[in-house]
Amino acid sequence: MSRVNTVLGPIPAEELGFVAIHEHIGYGMPGSELDTQWWKTPEQRYEETVPKLRRFHELGGGTFVDVTGICNGRDVDYYRSLSAKTGVHIVACTGFVGGDTALPHFARAGVDYLTRQFVHEITVGIGGTGSLAGVIKVGVSRGGRMTDLDKRIYRAAARAALTTGVPVLTHLAIDAENAVAIFNEEGLPLDRVLFGHVDDGVNAGKTRDVWIAEQGGRIGFDTFGYETELPDPPFWARPRKERLDHFLRFVGEGRLGQVLASADANCSPLGWPGVKGHTVNYIFEDLVPDLRAAGLDEAAIKTVFVDNPAGFLTLHK
Amino acid sequence: MSVNSNTVNTVLGPVPAGELGVVSVHEALLSVLPGAEHAFDITLDRAEIFETLAGKLREFRAHGGGTVVDSTGMFHGRDVRLYEALSRSTGVHIVASTGQGPEELLGGYFLTPQTNPPTPWPAEKFAGLFTKEITEGMVVPRVERRGPAGLVTAAVSRAGMTATDESLLRGAARTALATGTAVSFRFGADAVRELDVVLDENLPADRVAVGGLDRKDAVAAGAPERIAARGAYAVLDHVGTDDAEHLADTERAVLVAGLVRAGHADRILLSVGATGVAKGHPANDLPYSHLLTAFVPLLKAHGVGEDDVRRIIEANPRHLLAVR
Repeated sequence: MSRVNTVLGPIPAEELGFVAIHEHIGYGMPGSELDTQWWKTPEQRYEETVPKLRRFHELGGGTFVDVTGICNGRDVDYYRSLSAKTGVHIVACTGFVGGDTALPHFARAGVDYLTRQFVHEITVGIGGTGSLAGVIKVGVSRGGRMTDLDKRIYRAAARAALTTGVPVLTHLAIDAENAVAIFNEEGLPLDRVLFGHVDDGVNAGKTRDVWIAEQGGRIGFDTFGYETELPDPPFWARPRKERLDHFLRFVGEGRLGQVLASADANCSPLGWPGVKGHTVNYIFEDLVPDLRAAGLDEAAIKTVFVDNPAGFLTLHK
Repeated sequence: MSVNSNTVNTVLGPVPAGELGVVSVHEALLSVLPGAEHAFDITLDRAEIFETLAGKLREFRAHGGGTVVDSTGMFHGRDVRLYEALSRSTGVHIVASTGQGPEELLGGYFLTPQTNPPTPWPAEKFAGLFTKEITEGMVVPRVERRGPAGLVTAAVSRAGMTATDESLLRGAARTALATGTAVSFRFGADAVRELDVVLDENLPADRVAVGGLDRKDAVAAGAPERIAARGAYAVLDHVGTDDAEHLADTERAVLVAGLVRAGHADRILLSVGATGVAKGHPANDLPYSHLLTAFVPLLKAHGVGEDDVRRIIEANPRHLLAVR
């Protein structure tokens, strides 16, 4: 049986449709909730978010994967209401964006405890919502190397993935040797791991995307739209053509079956200003036309946005 | 200046300092290790938490207690609306605090912000955050502000003051200067040096309370007397705790008696350091009233007179908490 956990319950993978694999309803660093400069009313939050999800749906979007980790403002009740009212399937995650977003209760925890936290959120529910997490988020802390805490989180994620069948998705794919070693030690097949952000402006040059793919990992070109051409680009921006060429080069080397793509946009950011004008719909409005213009056919586009995500998100037990 | 004209910010609004009664200055009501609120194996049943805390506050009041200061700051389980309800229903004044620390207990927003490089927050930004908790009110995260905080807290890492700990101390001191609210910090490794950082911001010493001074290492370093001699309040905040790290009550009473004899009766503060309800970390389950039921008699047995006892448990905290 093909099965994917969404915030409104399990659905068959056949129903996912076109998937935005690495997105955020709203992301904030832990502690940002104390700083009123970022606060928005619930009215404002829905007003900023609902039209983007509705447009996503109208343009052909089926599923929005929210990879806002524990402690980063993940708000599953809110996601449930958004999903129910817009018709977009929303997949929520367990795990952490990186060790530096794990608050002390988790930062002090060992692998076993972290594993139990993740398994609970995948099999019993997130908080009191009853919603099951559909992916496990892990990531590399600021600084470019995996910290001890990052490694504990990766190891716990690998164990939880093996126990529950949900896949693992990473924030950054730098220092990949350490990550791959942990997944290998734990016996998690690397096609259950999406190594994300191989395309971002800061890290693309030091990310061994080809090597990771050769090991069997899935590769995430998932910061599409964070471009240096924007009026006020973030520090991880990259020239539009450079990212697109990177993606096309990678796909052209026979790796179409291993890539996923997304925009990593915030519908309504929680603890930072966000990037004006950048939404999940960059995928439909800019990326897909760019891919067509570059000669990718419809079958290839379906592979990247429908088939690969379905294979990745389906619970494997 | 008439001290009695000053008021203290409690969770139910300003209260004349003279109405506080006996004050326990370093306590925790609901104490939650940051992140524990998201843990799969921890539940936060507000009704149950309320019942437990109300019972402890009533017991404190029954033994002559008047005011409990929740000195855990803004990011360790502080629940302002719960505290308002507790104060209304028990009649105990509750003073809640702003501030946070030490570094290890901070969220990533302050330590690895989304900038390149991820430079930790400087003192000035902490001062802004904490000051608004007094001038505009304490936050219920992403929902609303309530009444003003009555104390600014900070804490220094046990392994020694980090750069961010120093920013927290300086930010707390600047908040105190801007608002007239006192600073209370739990020392890390070197109480006197850490106090000097606060004083370096030109905050008068009598607006600072230094906690943790009944730790054996603090006593061995002569910190309680040295802190008092600088004009700050020396807080013995583990009354009733008897473990490898802290003095036992008898030794604590000897310490207080000695400080009083040395002329520092007006620089001493006492507290149990209890955690009314603890989530995600071990509790200190002593009753808040232990100060009154067990330790005050012990102080008297060690020759501390009634006037000095009252000074220590009523007048000193009143002076600290009164907004200047």
